[in-house]
Amino acid sequence: MTLRGLARVLLAYALALVVLSLILWRALRLDRTRAPSGTTIVSLWRGGTRVARSVVTGQAEHVLGLESAVPGSTRSIEQIVDSAPILALNRLVFAASVAPVRDGVSVSYQGRTAYVTPDDLLKIEAYESNLQLGPLQLVLGVDPDKVLASLAGELKTTPDELFRHGSFRRFAVRGDQRFPRRLKDSDVSLAEIKNSVQSAARYLARNQKRDGSFRYEVNAMTGGDAPDYNYPRHAGATYFLARAGNQLKDQRLFRAARQAGAFMKDHATLRCGAHSCVGEGDEVDIGSASLALLAYVELLNGGASEFRDAALDLAAFLRSQQLPSGDFQHFYSVKEQHAINLQVEYYTGEAAFALSRVARISQAAQDLDGARRGLAFLVARPALFLGAHYFWGAEHWTCQVLEDLWQRAPDRRALQFCLDWQAANRNMQYTSPPERPEYDGALSRGPFVSPRLTPLASRLEAAVATLAVARSAGIDAAQLALLEAEIRRGFGFLLRYQFSPGPSYLMPDPRALVGGVPGSPVDLHVRIDYPQHAGDAWLRYLELVEVR
Amino acid sequence: MANVSESRARVSFAVLNALVAVILLVGVFGLMHPRFWAVDCPAALLAGVELVSAVALLARLPWALRALSIAAWVTFVGGLLLVALIVLTMVFLRSVHGEDGMVATAVSGLVLALLVPYTLLLPAVQLLWLKGRVGERES
Repeated sequence: MTLRGLARVLLAYALALVVLSLILWRALRLDRTRAPSGTTIVSLWRGGTRVARSVVTGQAEHVLGLESAVPGSTRSIEQIVDSAPILALNRLVFAASVAPVRDGVSVSYQGRTAYVTPDDLLKIEAYESNLQLGPLQLVLGVDPDKVLASLAGELKTTPDELFRHGSFRRFAVRGDQRFPRRLKDSDVSLAEIKNSVQSAARYLARNQKRDGSFRYEVNAMTGGDAPDYNYPRHAGATYFLARAGNQLKDQRLFRAARQAGAFMKDHATLRCGAHSCVGEGDEVDIGSASLALLAYVELLNGGASEFRDAALDLAAFLRSQQLPSGDFQHFYSVKEQHAINLQVEYYTGEAAFALSRVARISQAAQDLDGARRGLAFLVARPALFLGAHYFWGAEHWTCQVLEDLWQRAPDRRALQFCLDWQAANRNMQYTSPPERPEYDGALSRGPFVSPRLTPLASRLEAAVATLAVARSAGIDAAQLALLEAEIRRGFGFLLRYQFSPGPSYLMPDPRALVGGVPGSPVDLHVRIDYPQHAGDAWLRYLELVEVR
Repeated sequence: MANVSESRARVSFAVLNALVAVILLVGVFGLMHPRFWAVDCPAALLAGVELVSAVALLARLPWALRALSIAAWVTFVGGLLLVALIVLTMVFLRSVHGEDGMVATAVSGLVLALLVPYTLLLPAVQLLWLKGRVGERES
């Protein structure tokens, strides 16, 4: 190939690429800032089910007005502001063609048109589906099967037939947005935080069963429960409830925590060698024991003395799992009665935190020493960071150990570690503008997926702990201000999405969900650790302010 | 003098092609898990072609220049397709997600900048050099 030939090929290629790109861009983009186009979708929701829909052009104020007078009804009016075709080449491209939380989908088929609005897509849990492509799992905008099934149901045909012969568009709407709450970080007041933490704790208490266990994961859209259960998370929820009960002086919360503690003590306590441990089956982890110990310590602080022996025994179990390096063996074979020297994220931090907390009750030097060595191990980073034993993103317990130990065994290296970690978290924090206002303060998971609440909440628990230590360690005002702003903005995001009451018209049982913290803007499930982490971050902040 | 410069060019291309093959093999088969045929097959083909041409050039085999030509064309055409695929995907995602796609556009731009030297620039230089050699021989 000559130089001139090469230049021609590249020029033609570049031109073709630019033209194709422009065509694609003009055809597919949506302008969400436009004035409504005239089509309005009016939906009537009752008991979490859409009971009527009317699509009109022009005035929609009185559409479904009579029906909406029935008690328990919510009328939702969504005006289409713009629409664009969907490239329904295959289900992969179809799924990638819809922006989660923002877009609805319409289809024209045999002269009729059906719509699934953003509310519908939330209701059928169609946003952000996992698609298996070979061995790769992709998170795409919508689940094409759910969308097609919903639209096909409206048009009385089959999803395959609709996909082959339908003409699909996505559309943006402007409506009477009820969820998330419109809340700026400047609106994050102490009263707001206190109200939210109470509400989160009450959610757990309300969803506790008679035996002391919790409804583990409640699907707000169906009202159904997940069948599984998890003892570390049960223990974590108990810990938060006990803390909330103590700090807010709320006997109802404390009673619920006591009952949840008794459930662990009486139904989930096993023998691991000379000591007791928490879990079920042939193998247990130290995460359950650590969080159970944290819960027992909080219960003891509130006067539930029946947990003292169990707490001291769990502390002895944790110490027996500790290695000379300061790290812990994370598992124990109940069947074969020996420790298993394997490590996963979180558990070392949880164990160190639990030993630090129990040391105040046991007054045992070995508990304090175990916590101190655990913390020192966690914050010692090898020169080659990528070879570090634990993942940098999962350090929220570490910084809580730092705070708890600070008055008794201050570790400046750990403080620096936590300050650095929070600086890294701030780099991942969304700022609006340019990000959309409702995501301000959230942590990015990537450009095409919505942020999750619990990873942020757990980092905020650590951020508040770090702030408390940074203040008493005399860290400069500029760093403190950055931490404060990070926390406030993060709280703003959590408060916006907490169910207070949330999109109650989409829920079959909205009263059960009040105070719950969902997984993400599209994952409206409440697992017990979601309100736990958000509530604990808020509680820590209230405690810090009260101490000041 | 001309022989010395040709010899240097052959060795340079051999080393660069071997480097591209090693980067591909380590990147795809060493670091990327799990296996996926749609990535593995083109990567293995490309790495194979590059390695064969590198060995042939270093060993001064009679068909070395033909192998280099095939490797350069395969890489160049593959590079054009890959760049087009990435650019069109960027445009598609930006169209769907609007401003939310800004970061992805920037990251994809960086990926493109890293790819172009190996997938377009190097094979283009090799094709120009091969054409130059043919020109010299004819004159």
